[in-house]
Amino acid sequence: MIKDIRIVSRRFNLPQSHTLEVARQHGAYRSIETLTERTPEGIIAAVEASGLRGKGGGGAPTGAKWRLMEGEFDGRPKYVVVNADESEPGTFKDGHILSKDPHLLIEGILLTCYALGAHDAYIYIRGEYYERQQILQHAIDEAYEAGILGQSIMGHDYRVDLTVHRGAGAYICGEKSALLESMEGKRGHPRLKPHQKEPEWYFGNPTLINNVETIATVPFIVTEGADAYRQYGTERSPGTLLFALSGHVNRPGVYEAPFGTSLMEYIEHYGGGIRNGGTLKAVIPGGASTPVLTADEAAQARLDYESMQGLGSALGTGGMIVMDESVDMVEALKNLMAFYHHESCGQCTPCREGTGWVDAILARILAREGNRDDLKKLLDISETMNGKTVCVFAPAASSVIDAMVQKFETEFLRYLDTGGAA
Amino acid sequence: MSTQSVTITVDGTPIEVNPDRMLLPELLDKGFSIPHFCYQESLGSDGNCRMCMVEIAGKKRPQISCDTPIVAGMEVRTRGESIEKVRRDILELELINHPVDCPICDQAGECSLQDYYMEYGLYQGKVDKKEKHHFDKHIDLGANVLHDQERCVLCQRCVRFCRDVTHTDELCVAGRGDHSYITTIPGETLHNAYAMNVTDLCPVGALTSKDFRFQQRVWFLATSPSVCHGCAKGCAIDIDHAKSKYHDDTIYRFRPRKNPEINGEFICDAGRLSYKETQTYLLRTCLAKEEILADAEALDRMKAILTEDEYPIVVLADANLYTEELAALQAFARTFHAQLYAPLEAYHDPAFGDDWLKSSQRAANAEGVKRLGIATEMPTLNDNTLVINVNHPDGHRTANRIDLLTHRPDENTERVPARLTLPIAPWVRSSGHLINEDGIEQYCEQVLRRNDPTPTLLERLAHFLDKGDDTILDNMETAL
Repeated sequence: MIKDIRIVSRRFNLPQSHTLEVARQHGAYRSIETLTERTPEGIIAAVEASGLRGKGGGGAPTGAKWRLMEGEFDGRPKYVVVNADESEPGTFKDGHILSKDPHLLIEGILLTCYALGAHDAYIYIRGEYYERQQILQHAIDEAYEAGILGQSIMGHDYRVDLTVHRGAGAYICGEKSALLESMEGKRGHPRLKPHQKEPEWYFGNPTLINNVETIATVPFIVTEGADAYRQYGTERSPGTLLFALSGHVNRPGVYEAPFGTSLMEYIEHYGGGIRNGGTLKAVIPGGASTPVLTADEAAQARLDYESMQGLGSALGTGGMIVMDESVDMVEALKNLMAFYHHESCGQCTPCREGTGWVDAILARILAREGNRDDLKKLLDISETMNGKTVCVFAPAASSVIDAMVQKFETEFLRYLDTGGAA
Repeated sequence: MSTQSVTITVDGTPIEVNPDRMLLPELLDKGFSIPHFCYQESLGSDGNCRMCMVEIAGKKRPQISCDTPIVAGMEVRTRGESIEKVRRDILELELINHPVDCPICDQAGECSLQDYYMEYGLYQGKVDKKEKHHFDKHIDLGANVLHDQERCVLCQRCVRFCRDVTHTDELCVAGRGDHSYITTIPGETLHNAYAMNVTDLCPVGALTSKDFRFQQRVWFLATSPSVCHGCAKGCAIDIDHAKSKYHDDTIYRFRPRKNPEINGEFICDAGRLSYKETQTYLLRTCLAKEEILADAEALDRMKAILTEDEYPIVVLADANLYTEELAALQAFARTFHAQLYAPLEAYHDPAFGDDWLKSSQRAANAEGVKRLGIATEMPTLNDNTLVINVNHPDGHRTANRIDLLTHRPDENTERVPARLTLPIAPWVRSSGHLINEDGIEQYCEQVLRRNDPTPTLLERLAHFLDKGDDTILDNMETAL
């Protein structure tokens, strides 16, 4: 039986939880009031010791990323950027934080800025999140008015200014370097990867980018301690994640759970089982970019990075798409590839041309004009898209194609062999 | 910057390379053939085309060599089945939405896409023609540049040229994914003074010059290295010309020739289009006032005027003449006790100059004039002076003169007819040295095979100079 753990979502169900008044009544900004008791190094050390992993999909250790911001950098200003460009199909957890508990995010940003010596922070929010942006901006305005943000945060001798930057509707701008290009006013194209470990750069200044939920986890770690966080989850995936559940379940939504929870138990407990008592066919475990799991694989899966990797998939953002027997997997792949085709930024050749070509071939297969060579062609194109581009958009699309075609080959063959060209 | 070279192994052969550069430029310099679109020497790497992949021992995946730092001892493979398959597959993706219209494409013959297909591709196409995307063709971007969006490989060299080199930012990528295309910023046209360089930078037939388009197949062109005469900058150029049967040898275009000391890899549009002036409105016949004369007759009359008339003689020399020609004019002036001037004021054009490759001094050899000690002011002239005007723009003010001209006099300018007019060959039909405004001397070969008998200035002067006069060359050598 699953026990509810609420670290990030603890104020989600309160009425008016997005207002400063309610948030403060329920503990918001305690860590900032007592900021003088903490040193920046202490905060970084706590985050490092907690084993917190980035919750935007990659799962990279947050502490190590923060350490890259250490140093003088010739006295250049340091920036903190929060990635709220949540655009992955099946993923909608950050939107919950933005609309239900924006003050938790602001508190996390204050702690992060203080720890890293940054005075200016930006939230890059997905353009389509218009209402959430309104709520977030309202919360920021409230915080400024209350002296929580601004020249001296809650009376401490430390300035933090927070600005919301709206995206213009490109999925790729959720990729951190494309996000920074976009914030610099340029076309959102991912940058070439650096040759050594270094922070990101915003107008040439050292910059930390973290996901909304990662930053929102920081207040808990700072106030309760690293061990309190580590008591949940597994050894290598400590803590909890806001898993988003969608698809053919009875109660879709966002539910926080510790890493390591069994996938099926999670679907049963929070999702209330498969819709209309149907049978499970497949699960996309962590947002559209993660390879699909068959029902058999889903039965073995646990919601942590290692287990998912062991099954040849990935935990990603934890946005699960549950599919029952009614789903046609060829159509599902076409749906996914239409997304990748639409969202490829067009910078690298394999991705720009590959996603469109795959989409066109799938359209042909669905029109029953495909032939058996098409499956090999799909896998060939997928191979060319994998690992040969600037960012991981194309490799993700490639893994999605491979998993669908290989695991549900019979469904593809049915399209190819009935009424299709030879 | 360290100058210590390191050893790496490429395809099993150890080579010495400079560790301060990325792998691709080093390998290209060492003669390795690696396909690439977005990397360009002057523009650097962008990493978008993914064509320049090589295998590096110890790395799981192939790496783009344009963004791979050199590490001593690294083992690089540019050949072999697996890397060649990667190249072939990426090339195939470049081509799936390409119209493959080489027979009607001006770039054919100098197209990277075509060359790479022949070298690395040669696969049987898998794409269904119905799946191809179509884009706009024949878009006038401005500045004589036409764009065919279907042929574009989106390497963004043109965008980066306008952004990083001219800083004018007229071009951008619009759209997304395989619907991306190059266009001008809304409301803008391509309008910088160097815009046509994008047609050279474009590795495929997407950007072509309106001027050169459909004029000549590139494989019929012969290339001669030369120097632009548009201004005192002296940009190095290649002159592409062709002589078809029964026709004159004709120049089809000027292209920049790499010279890191002067112009890098670029030239201005004005210089690029100045080839037209070298072959239009040329003067071909000798004239006495307005009556046509035979060449021999004209020479006799010129000799008679020079030796029999009592007038003091002034020679006005064009400051675009080669140093050899200027030195010969000095010898000529000595022989006939004449004063030699090359007035530079006429070439001063502040509206033309900028802070890069365009100089407001429009005379190509102004520096050569100065080094030879030729007077550069305009002398006071009247009809008691006999003026020998050698193509000088202000040389037509007095009536008592002999003209040696490359071009027919402009009928629109008020001009007193000369007593005698003799044609001389334009600079592309002659050879010699030029010294640019920064003191860099360059040699221009005679480009065109002679189509007509118009003699060069040196050939004209030879009739008047003592053949044994070595002082011409002596004088030149001491001056330079």
